Amino acid sequence: MAQTTTGRFDLLGLDGMSADELGSLLDEAEGFVGAVERGESSERLAGKIVANLFFEDSTRTRCSFTVAAVRLGAATLDLTGAGSSLSKGESMLDTALNVEAMGVDAMVVRSGRSGTPHLVARSVGCPVINAGDGRHEHPTQGLLDILTLRRRWGDVAGRTVVIVGDIANSRVARSNVHGLTTLGADVLLVGPPALVPHSFTQIAAGPGRVTVSHDLDDALPRADAVMMLRIQLERHDDGGSGAIPPDYRRQYGLTVDRAAGLEADVPVMHPGPMNRGVEIDSEVADDPARSVIMQQVTHGVAVRMAVLNRAIAG
Amino acid sequence: MADLLIHGGRVIDPAGGFDQTADLLISDGVVAAIGGPAHDERVDGVERLDAEGCIVAPGLIDVHVHFREPDPDHRETIAAGCAAAAAGGFTSICCMPNTRPPIDSPELVDFVQRRGRLARSTRVFTAGCASEARRGQRPARITAMSKAGAVAFTDDGDCVVDAGLMAGVLKTVRAAGRCFMQHCQEPAMTRGGSMNAGALATRLALGGWPAEAEQVILERDVRLNRAIGCRYHAQHLSSRGSVELVRQARREGQPVTAEASPHHLSLTEHQCDGYDTAAKVNPPLRTADDVAGLKDGIADGTITILATDHAPHPPQRKLVEFEEAAFGIVGLETALPLYLDALVQDGVIDLAAMLAMMTCHPAHLLGIDRMGLGALTVGGPADVTVFDPQLEWIIRAGEFASTGRHCPFEGRAVRGRTIATIVAGRTVYLTTRERMTT
Repeated sequence: MAQTTTGRFDLLGLDGMSADELGSLLDEAEGFVGAVERGESSERLAGKIVANLFFEDSTRTRCSFTVAAVRLGAATLDLTGAGSSLSKGESMLDTALNVEAMGVDAMVVRSGRSGTPHLVARSVGCPVINAGDGRHEHPTQGLLDILTLRRRWGDVAGRTVVIVGDIANSRVARSNVHGLTTLGADVLLVGPPALVPHSFTQIAAGPGRVTVSHDLDDALPRADAVMMLRIQLERHDDGGSGAIPPDYRRQYGLTVDRAAGLEADVPVMHPGPMNRGVEIDSEVADDPARSVIMQQVTHGVAVRMAVLNRAIAG
Repeated sequence: MADLLIHGGRVIDPAGGFDQTADLLISDGVVAAIGGPAHDERVDGVERLDAEGCIVAPGLIDVHVHFREPDPDHRETIAAGCAAAAAGGFTSICCMPNTRPPIDSPELVDFVQRRGRLARSTRVFTAGCASEARRGQRPARITAMSKAGAVAFTDDGDCVVDAGLMAGVLKTVRAAGRCFMQHCQEPAMTRGGSMNAGALATRLALGGWPAEAEQVILERDVRLNRAIGCRYHAQHLSSRGSVELVRQARREGQPVTAEASPHHLSLTEHQCDGYDTAAKVNPPLRTADDVAGLKDGIADGTITILATDHAPHPPQRKLVEFEEAAFGIVGLETALPLYLDALVQDGVIDLAAMLAMMTCHPAHLLGIDRMGLGALTVGGPADVTVFDPQLEWIIRAGEFASTGRHCPFEGRAVRGRTIATIVAGRTVYLTTRERMTT
């Protein structure tokens, strides 16, 4: 959902956003890619303050939002779980309300729980951007993945993106499922049965379709792009012992051998952090002809510039 | 000396099969007369309650409420809960024992009953714990609590999981002549769960709580109890499959009963969309097919009791993320119109049948029918609820007598409202003084 009833721009998830809304944000992000690549800044958001409320650890996403804000001339305020009043028992919502009372222009919220940004958005007056909420959504990651594919293909419609890994516990997977299918791409989700529930086939409205497979070798020939995800051990109650097969790499890893079987123009993606040698072999992750992982990171800054600019400047 | 004449209402007593426009005369805490337009000299100068257009029913009974006393952190005391019950038309309620400390001794049973008498409102009955401290390990002092007045036994909020403990509890409860109430929830299947399992839980990335977790316990219990024959009551049924299990057990002649809540009859899992913590409840709201299954069970007499599972929490327990939020919905003050809407207006059952599920059936389950409760009989206790089935109003949790403010029905326009609640001849709730005439 992107727009609140008050007309304020929130980015809580790609679920519920229309193809037009997605397309217009991606167009705006596209316009920022050159500036990011050339290291150029502007004063569009001079005098504005972006609060990064990170209730869960993050390196890449927090840095990316900070770079995006600075490139637009905005100042950032970083608040993380440790060393803040959260460690003194203050509730997440009280923290957000206090930051709002200080007067900020947008809040970027990361949390280990599904729905935190939605709760914050209902309580504060400034725009709220979801930087990842539990297993639910990571909309700027979804947008940067789609931007990467769109720049490569021109249009994602009619393509098939294979996403492999711990789908059940992945907010990246959910955001990609919603964004890609809304734009007409099909998504094939692959992983062990306990990590890729069949209910995923019913969560998106389309027009793209979502299908599920538990056999990577069967799925890969259908891929126009392959996105590898890590096992989210921290989200498994039992450390993953029940759901993760002992020979995970052999069954679901993108090994050198498997990658060799892909068509030459099929890009390999990963949102990071990577567990090299588990879900992806180093040689594949670092293959300049195949891997678009660093492009994804660069596009992430462009997407976040577009989102911050939309939220604050309108 | 007569105390009150309720005149001109439609008197419905499901227990006695009575349903006609009549006057009801209350004297010295008991029903003195039920009859046609009063011309009895006993009514001269008696306080009158104009019940024209209203239903005059036996006081409503709720076998499943959570008042939070004793508990140092909760504001929903027994007195506060009773105020909510009276406002909802309930003249008798049964407290669940998952308090802090839990009600697992005759002393605490006595404490709750005394606090209930001090509230001078709705009659307070209590269930006692099935297991000591609700830990699910050793049986609680069931016989002693029964002698102290506990009307039922349950670990509600938690399921009695251990089959050996369960068998012992059922035997002891049966010997005490009471009923056992099970909170059917297989704990391993619901670990980390906070809403109905399925595509919506997947989309919202919330832990799923499958209906099968209710059914495997119910199925096991029915099998276990077959040789024991304790009166077994399944609390807050949420799924079609559970209704079918109860249906089969009753068909076999097992002493099995079941209840349904207003929210499980009125809402589906979609209420959780947008992470609305007011809709977080145990067991969770399920699908439209489950709601239809519950209604089928009510229509064919499988489910015989309506119970609110009134579960107030302080606001900060609900103003958090969905997975962090407390389970529970405030129910006493909205139950009557919600049942009318879901069951009578929807044509599932008629008004008298609905009232039976809120009066004589729950009274029988708790054994308080022996006190004359749940019925309107001359000489019996004057516990009476007068409600206007047509009165329209809008649910506003801010106006509740309960301290609970989380209500998934907030803002809903409903029809049907309690006008007066009378316990042992004493009016404990009255909406507008204007309706009183002398």
